[in-house]
Amino acid sequence: MSRQHRPAFRRGALATLAAAALIALSACGGSDGSSAKSDGPVQEGGTLRLAFNQDVYGNLDPNQNFWIESRSIDRNLVDSLTDQDPKTGKIVPWLATKWTVSPDAKTYTFTLRDDVTFSDGTPLDAKAVKTAYDGIIKLGPLASLGATYLSGYKETKVLAPNKVEVDFSTANAAFLQATATTTLGILSPKSYDIDPKKRALGDFVGSGPFTLKSYKVAQSVKLAKRKDYAWGSEINENRKAAHIDALDVTFVPEESVLVGSLTSKQIDVAWPRNPLSEQSQQTITSSGGKVDSTVLPGLTYNLIPNLKGILGEVKVRDALQKSIDRTEWAHTVFGDKYPVTKSVVDSTTPQWSDQSSLLAYDPKGAETLLDEAGWKKGSGAYRTKGGKPLEISLTVAAPWAGWDLLQDQLKKVGIKLTQKVVTPAEYTAKANAGEFDLTASYFTRADADVLRTFYDTNVVKPGTGPGAYTQDPATAKALSALYAQEISEADPVKRKAIFAEIQKQIITAGVLFPLQDRAQIVATTDQVHDLNYTAETFLRLNDVWLSK
Amino acid sequence: MTLADVELVRFTPPAAERDGTSNRARQTAHALLRRPGFLIAVAYVVLVVLSAIVPRLFTSGDPTQTAPKDKFLAPSLSHLFGTDELGRDLFTRMVHGSALSIEATAISVGLAVVVGLTIGVVSGYAGGWADSLLMRFVDVLLAIPALLLALAIVTALGFGTVNVAIAVGVGLTPGFARVTRAEVLRVKTLPYVEAARSSGAGPLRVLRRHILPNSWGPVAVLAVLDFGTAILAVSSLSFLGFGAPPPEAEWGSLVAAGRTYLVTSPWLTLLPGLAVGAAVYALNHIGKTFEELQRWH
Repeated sequence: MSRQHRPAFRRGALATLAAAALIALSACGGSDGSSAKSDGPVQEGGTLRLAFNQDVYGNLDPNQNFWIESRSIDRNLVDSLTDQDPKTGKIVPWLATKWTVSPDAKTYTFTLRDDVTFSDGTPLDAKAVKTAYDGIIKLGPLASLGATYLSGYKETKVLAPNKVEVDFSTANAAFLQATATTTLGILSPKSYDIDPKKRALGDFVGSGPFTLKSYKVAQSVKLAKRKDYAWGSEINENRKAAHIDALDVTFVPEESVLVGSLTSKQIDVAWPRNPLSEQSQQTITSSGGKVDSTVLPGLTYNLIPNLKGILGEVKVRDALQKSIDRTEWAHTVFGDKYPVTKSVVDSTTPQWSDQSSLLAYDPKGAETLLDEAGWKKGSGAYRTKGGKPLEISLTVAAPWAGWDLLQDQLKKVGIKLTQKVVTPAEYTAKANAGEFDLTASYFTRADADVLRTFYDTNVVKPGTGPGAYTQDPATAKALSALYAQEISEADPVKRKAIFAEIQKQIITAGVLFPLQDRAQIVATTDQVHDLNYTAETFLRLNDVWLSK
Repeated sequence: MTLADVELVRFTPPAAERDGTSNRARQTAHALLRRPGFLIAVAYVVLVVLSAIVPRLFTSGDPTQTAPKDKFLAPSLSHLFGTDELGRDLFTRMVHGSALSIEATAISVGLAVVVGLTIGVVSGYAGGWADSLLMRFVDVLLAIPALLLALAIVTALGFGTVNVAIAVGVGLTPGFARVTRAEVLRVKTLPYVEAARSSGAGPLRVLRRHILPNSWGPVAVLAVLDFGTAILAVSSLSFLGFGAPPPEAEWGSLVAAGRTYLVTSPWLTLLPGLAVGAAVYALNHIGKTFEELQRWH
C-alpha cells in the first residue's frame, strides 16, 4: 500500500473520505439489509471501466512509449525483472528472484524464476531477457527512453537457462531501478521480430496478469485477465490471477465530462492527467465516490530557462527563483491541501532532498537583485533597462489559469511574463530547438537519474531537448561531474547524498524553477476497492476488486 | 400613386431622389421607433461597442489582477458576474474582453465587405470570363465550411486576435461576393443605368454613382447579419484557444476557461455565453428589421 508514502496532509483528507464513505455505506445499508464493509471479503469478477486523459502518441509498446497513460496500461501487460516498493522505493524481486550488482555498477547478474511463461506459452528464460534488452537497443531512437535507461549498455550474457548477466561499458547505477520499469519490460522473443510500428499498435506478447484484447488508437483499450498468472511481486496482496475479469479503457480529456461519467457510473475509475479541481473532487465525494491523491515520483513541474535569451543574466534567474510564490500557486491552482514543491524532483522520488529553504518566496530580495542588475522600476508596472522592458516569453502548448497566476506573481516584482501558446506539434519543435525564454515540463520516474536524462548537457544536446539550453558552461561542467559520480555510485545512501548536492546546485544556479509537485488524483466509485499503484504511480490491477 | 410619380421612379435614379429622402427617413425612423425589441437590441449593441471602445467607463478594475483568496465568488454587488478560479473579477474580464472580440469581429466583417463587394462588383459588372473566373473561385470557398476554412487559415497564420479575424473574414467573403454580384446584375439592366450610359457617363462613373449606391441595401443587411455570425465564429475560435494569447480574455476563451467548473460555478461559463448569445441575437434582430423595412419601401 502506498498510504505511508503520502505526505501528512493527506491523512486529514483520507479521514474525511472515510467518513464520507461510511455515511454513504450506512445509507445503502438500509436498502440491501447487509452490513457492507468498505474493504470486505474480496469479490471476484467484473469489468473495470477506466477513463484516461488522452492517447496522444498512439503507441502501446512498453519498450517504445513514454506516455504516462500508456505505461499504466503496459504495467498490466508486461512484467519486469524487478519491482519497486511504492512505500520505500526499495527494489524487490519479481521475475528475478535475486541479483548482484558489481561495486563499479557495471555488471548486474539476475537469477530468474523458472515458472514464468509469456501469454503465448513460451517460457520466460535468460535467453528471452537477452533478446529483450538487445531488442530495446536495436529499436534505436524509437526507444529513446529505454536507451537512457540502458546507457552504457555493452551486452547481456546467458549464464544458465535461469541466469543472466547484463554488462555495461560505463557505470549505470540507475539500471537496477530501470529494470523495474515498463520501459525495460520483457516481451516474448517473437515480439522482437515484429515491425516496431505493428508492436506500437499492440502486436506484442508479455507475461503480465492481463493480455491485450483490442486497441483502438485514441479510442479504447481492452484487457482480459490471464487465468494462469501466478508470479506477482511481493508488493501485491494478490500474486495470482487478478480479481477482475477485464479492463476497459476509454479516453476522456475534458474534466467536466470525466467527472460526469464517474458520478453517473458510466466509468468506475477516473484517471486524469492534471489534478482534478477542488470543485470536481467535491462533486465526486458528494455523490459517494472516492478521491485519492498520490505524489508522482520524478521531475516536478519545472520551468525551464533558455540562457541564450534574457535569462542568461544570473541575477534575473535568481530573482525569478525568488519571485515565484509556490504556496499560493499550489493552493490556488489545486486547492489548500495540495503539496507545495520543495525541490526539482517530487517528494516521492527515493533520492529527493528538501530544498525548500532555497525556494522561499522573497519578492523584496528579487527586487533588490533586479535593481542591482540595472533593471529599474519606472512609471510603468514593469522594469526596464536602457528602454528595454524586462520581458520573459513563456512558450506552452495550452492555455492554463496557472500561467495567468504566474504572470501576475511576476508582475508584482516588475517582470513582464508573456505567454506564447502554440500547437503541441509546434511546441515540441520549438522546445527542442531552444526557441523560448521559458517553458515547462515534467517526467515520471522513481529515480532521480531522470535529472541526468533530461538536464545533463552530456546527454541532452541542442536540438534534442529544452534541457540543453539551461546551463552556462561552468554550471554544466560541475553538474556533469556530479551526474558522472551519481551514475557510478552503487551505494544508495551515498548516491542519495550526491543527488542532494545536484538538486541544490540546480536550484541555486537557476537551471530549473520548480513550480509544483505533481499529484496523481484518481477518483473511483464506491464499488472499486484496493486500487493500488506502482512506485511510479501507474495502474496496478493485481489487487483491485469490484463489489456488486 | 399619380402618373407623375411613376414617371419619376422610372427615369430618375433613386439615389438622386433628393426631395423624397427626408420624408422617407422620417417614415423609417418612425417605423423603427415603434419596435421596442429593435430598440433594446440597438441599446445592447451600442453598450457592447461602447465597452469595447472605452472599457474604463464600465469598470475600473484590472482584468488580469488575481486575488486567490476571492476565487469562485458567486455574482454579488461587489462582483457583478462573480470571480473566476484565480479570483479575477469576471465582469471586468468580460468588459475588457469585448474590446478584443468586437475588434476581431469588426476586422473580419470589414474584410469580408471590402473584398466581397469588390469581387461581386467586378464580377457582376464586367461579366464574361472575369465573372466566370471569380465566381468559380467563390464557389470553391463556399464548398468549404466557413469554420473549417477559418481553422485551417488560423493554424497556418498562427494564433492571435487579428489572425482569427482574417480567418473568419475570408470565410464570410463568398457570401458578400455572391449577394453583391446578384444585386449588380439586377441594377445594371435598369433603365436609369441605361439612361446614364447613353448620356455619356463612363463605366466608372456609372458604377460609382448609379450601381453601387443602389445595390448596397441587401449587402448592408447581410453585413449586420454576418456581424452576428462573425461574433460566433470568432468566439468559437477563441474557445478552441486560437485567439488572443492569455491572460487576455475574449468571450470565447472565457467560456472555455469556465467549462471545467460548469457544475459548481456555472456563472463562469453561462454569463460570457449569454453575452455572446445576446449580442448575436441583437444583431440578428437588427438585421431582420432592416430587411423588413427594405421590403416595404
